[in-house]
Amino acid sequence: MGKTREEIKVELKKHIVEYLNLLDIKPEEIEDDQPLFGPDLGLDSIDSVELIVLLDREYGLKINNPTEGRAILVDVNTIVDYILENK
Amino acid sequence: MFITDLSAISPQLTYNENFLLGDKKSYESTVFNAIEPDYTELIPRNLLRRMGKAVRIGIGTGTPLINKNSELDGIIIGTANGGLEDCIRFLNQIIEYNEGTLTPTNFVQSTPNAIAGQLALIGKNRGYNITYTNGGTSFENAILDGILLFNEGNNKKLLIGGIEEISEYNYNIDSLSNKFKKETIKDSKLLESNTPGTICGEGAALFVVENESNNYYAQIKDVAQITYPSIEDLRECLTEMLERNNLKSTDIDSIMLGYNGDINHNHWYEYIENKIFKKSNSFTFKNLIGDYRTCSAFATWLSSHIINGEKKILKHISRRINNKNTPKNILIYNHFDTVRHGFILLSK
Repeated sequence: MGKTREEIKVELKKHIVEYLNLLDIKPEEIEDDQPLFGPDLGLDSIDSVELIVLLDREYGLKINNPTEGRAILVDVNTIVDYILENK
Repeated sequence: MFITDLSAISPQLTYNENFLLGDKKSYESTVFNAIEPDYTELIPRNLLRRMGKAVRIGIGTGTPLINKNSELDGIIIGTANGGLEDCIRFLNQIIEYNEGTLTPTNFVQSTPNAIAGQLALIGKNRGYNITYTNGGTSFENAILDGILLFNEGNNKKLLIGGIEEISEYNYNIDSLSNKFKKETIKDSKLLESNTPGTICGEGAALFVVENESNNYYAQIKDVAQITYPSIEDLRECLTEMLERNNLKSTDIDSIMLGYNGDINHNHWYEYIENKIFKKSNSFTFKNLIGDYRTCSAFATWLSSHIINGEKKILKHISRRINNKNTPKNILIYNHFDTVRHGFILLSK
C-alpha cells in the first residue's frame, strides 16, 4: 500500500530541510501552503534546482520543462499533488 | 607591502583577542580543528547554509576586513585544496547517480576560487580577483602576486590570504602516505615527538595590505619559494632573497620555523636554525595549529603581531631566545612535506 498524502507531506518537508540545509528550520515548521520562494523561507534559483534533484532522487520524478516546474514548486501542497499524480 | 589589517580563524582563539591575551587552547588529538565563530551576524543565512568549511572560514575571516576596507583594489587567495569536502561529495554523486541529475551546490562551493569570488560578491568588489592553488606555496604565490601588482603601480590596497580545511578526503589520502601521525598527541609534545608524520590542521588568515602606510602591523618585504630543492639550493634561494633586500643573516633577529614534529622533516628546519641563523631567536607555530598547505598565512599573522609588540603569546612558541627586544625582522621558513619550500620576510 502506498503512502498517504499526509505521510508524503511529512517526508517531503524533511527532505526539503535536508537537501537545502535550512538552518534553524524544523520540517514541521513549514506550512503546507507556505510559498517556498517567498520572503519566509527565502529560497532562490539554486534551491529550485536542488528541489528538482530532490524529486528525481527521492521520488523518481523528472521535471524537464521550466514552465511546468514553476507551477509544481509553489508550496508543499503543489509538490505533493505532483508526486501523487505521477507516482 | 604594509599589513594594515588582519584576521584569522584557526584552532586557537584568534578570531577575537583571547589568543593574543594568552588564552591558548590545548589539544590531544590526531587533528586540530579550527574554532569557528558565530557567523550569523556576519554572513547572510542563505549563503551560510550552502558553505563548506573552507568557504565558511574564508568568508568569516575576510568579511570583517572587507567591511572595514571597502576600497580594495583586488582579492588574492591562496588555497591548495579549496572546498575539497564538497568537491569529493560532488564527484561521488556523479558515480552514485550514474551521471544523472546532480545537485549544483556542492559543485559551486567546491571550486577553490569560490572563496575569493564570494568575498568579492559580499564586498561588491569588481577588482582583480584570483586564487592560487600551488600546493604548499599557495599563500607565498598570493603574496608574490600582490608584490608584483604594487610594483606595477596601479593598485594601492589588496586583500590577500591563505585558507585550508581538513576534509575527510585529504586527511585519509595524506594519512595513507604517512603525512599524519597515527597516534593522538598533545600539542605541547608535538614538536619533540620524534616519530614520523605530523598533525593535520586547518585555518584561514587574511590580510589587508597597502603599498604605502604609516600605520601598520608589519611589512612583508619579500617572498621566495623553491620546489624539490637540495640543501644547497635552499641556501642559495635564501641568500638571494637576503641580498636583494641588503640584509645579512645576522640582520634577521628572529626566525619562525615550520617544525611539525615529523622526524623526517626536522633536518630542513635544523639547518636553517643552526647553520644559517645561529644567533637569531627561533619561534614555532605548528604546535598551535597543526600542519596544512597554507599554514604560512597563519605564521604571517602570528609574526605580524609579534613584530607589533605582542608578547603574551611568546611563551607558547619560543624555541630559542637570544634577544628579548621586540623583533624587527622575522623570516618565516616553511615547507609542506619537504616538496615546496617558502620564505616570507617580515619587518617593522
